[in-house]
Amino acid sequence: MWHRIECSFQPDIDAEPHRATDRLLLSRQGFLRAALAFAAAPLLKAIPACFATPVGASLAVDEIGPGVFVHQGRYEVQSPENRGDMANAGFIVGTDAVAVIDTLGSTQVGRDLRDAIRTVTSKPIRYVINTHMHPDHVFGNAAFKEDSPAFVANHKLARGLGSRAERYLAINKQMLGPEAFEGIEIVFPTVPVDGTLSLDLGGRTLLLETQRTAHTDNDLTVTDSATNTLFLGDLLFSVHVPTLDGSIKGWLALIDDLKQRKVARVVPGHGPRAMQLPGALEPEQRYLATIAADVRKLIKEGKTIEDAAKTAGFEERDAWKLFDQYRVRNVTAAFAELEWE
Amino acid sequence: MPVRAHRLGLILGLAALVASLPVLAPRGAQAEEDVWPALKQANFGDRSIAAEDGMVVLDAPTTAEDAAIVPLTVRVPPDVKGPLKSLTLIIDKNPSPVVATLTFGPAAGAGGERSFATRVRIDMFSHVRAILETEDGKLHMATRFVQAAGGCAAMQAKDPDTENADLGKMIVKTFPPALSTAPLFEGLVMIKHPNSNGMQLDINTGGTIPARFVKEMIVKRDGDLVFRMESTFSISSNPNFRFTFGRGADNELDVAITDTDGTVFTGKSQPSGS
Repeated sequence: MWHRIECSFQPDIDAEPHRATDRLLLSRQGFLRAALAFAAAPLLKAIPACFATPVGASLAVDEIGPGVFVHQGRYEVQSPENRGDMANAGFIVGTDAVAVIDTLGSTQVGRDLRDAIRTVTSKPIRYVINTHMHPDHVFGNAAFKEDSPAFVANHKLARGLGSRAERYLAINKQMLGPEAFEGIEIVFPTVPVDGTLSLDLGGRTLLLETQRTAHTDNDLTVTDSATNTLFLGDLLFSVHVPTLDGSIKGWLALIDDLKQRKVARVVPGHGPRAMQLPGALEPEQRYLATIAADVRKLIKEGKTIEDAAKTAGFEERDAWKLFDQYRVRNVTAAFAELEWE
Repeated sequence: MPVRAHRLGLILGLAALVASLPVLAPRGAQAEEDVWPALKQANFGDRSIAAEDGMVVLDAPTTAEDAAIVPLTVRVPPDVKGPLKSLTLIIDKNPSPVVATLTFGPAAGAGGERSFATRVRIDMFSHVRAILETEDGKLHMATRFVQAAGGCAAMQAKDPDTENADLGKMIVKTFPPALSTAPLFEGLVMIKHPNSNGMQLDINTGGTIPARFVKEMIVKRDGDLVFRMESTFSISSNPNFRFTFGRGADNELDVAITDTDGTVFTGKSQPSGS
């Protein structure tokens, strides 16, 4: 617990998930030591985020680098119990402003995320960035409307989300239940990005890059200049099985590129708070390559999409959580793409 | 094509909302109503239909993973002999319930297990029906209930920007039977076509993408008709059809597809099995 509070900024590589209750057990002594450590580190004054884990907040966040915070979502599908808390979300604190990266899967957990940010810093939340259109990353956006931030995303996100909004709302209402669904709104981006965009938070810059169609057609990555931390959104799944809603060929090609990046750490959309390249991408690459090989073989044999849904992709079953929930969908999507080769 | 008022209202509402950093209310529960008696009357009049009499089998998933691409397979068991007249696919609750009607020709085959498979959009929880007309003019029906929602407004394309790039690209394949004496070959027709139903949101204009879909397909084997199909936008984008046909001399398929813009796309199978 100590290393997290004293701002030693050790990335929590591949750590097991910590429960929210861990956060509540900070001793008063620990808090004071943290405060002292902060006071004794004038260089860090500009980053009031050093208190790290907010005491008393219901949503756990960890500081994985100076001023870079990540909340790790559960490896689950949405439910009344998790209220849509099943993806990673982050925020980055500059000297002038805060940027949020993804907002979780309901307005309610979005509010918890906002509360966690407010326990760490009172700087204005100027940007809310969505890494792609999926509900578990954007349905918390409404919790930040009171901050009047710029909602920043890939320029294709609005089309993707707009055309699926009705279905997303219906499915999430059903899965979250009426209580957790309460307050959910679709909030579209106000600042579309096509290519790259830099956001100045004061003392650090975020580089936003739209990517080729991979996990979806509207993926966006974020690199923090101060810590060289790369937020990959759902271009990186770890532990949680990858889900395909874009292009399997595009995703595999993009993984080859991303593995070449030289960064201090990457943050997955689902998985541990921080990981290292290139190893972080390897299980996902193996999973997608396996699906592609299975499906191509079946297409060559003249098999149908239903045959593929029944038989393809089982080799990876033991390597992932939620494998069964997404196998048919992934195989179907891969088949509909690869049958045109 | 008929678009019910509440759907149109929803779409216009969605468009308006998108234009202004909107708040989108979840769609209310749809009133349950049995629309089949009216559909039956409109399409088959007073003719009697034998339900679940084993003459036709419909395979459909109980729950659709993706409502915009729900695989349906219709099979006629091998003990049903003789030519078939027609096959109609209906999704009760879709905006345009009749998905497709096939009229069979002499090359459709008269024995073995005959089948027709495609992928459809399903707008909300609905009964899906296959109505087969046998040579004697009798109607036989198989019905399945599919839990799927939002397939029509859903933009199925995962990468819409590449979708129109190769519109009209067609793949036609034939698969010979495992037994060289078997009476049926299998054919596959795929066409790159958005099959737009006029309900998908165009984020750039705030309106909807104009309807443009495959309305007719004629499949011939060695010059003889296998079937002529009339279809609607309930067929998924990138329409995909897999079907049996009777063994012929060369077993070469010729396909002509016409869409609502009047564009005709033609395709021909590669030599058997390739």
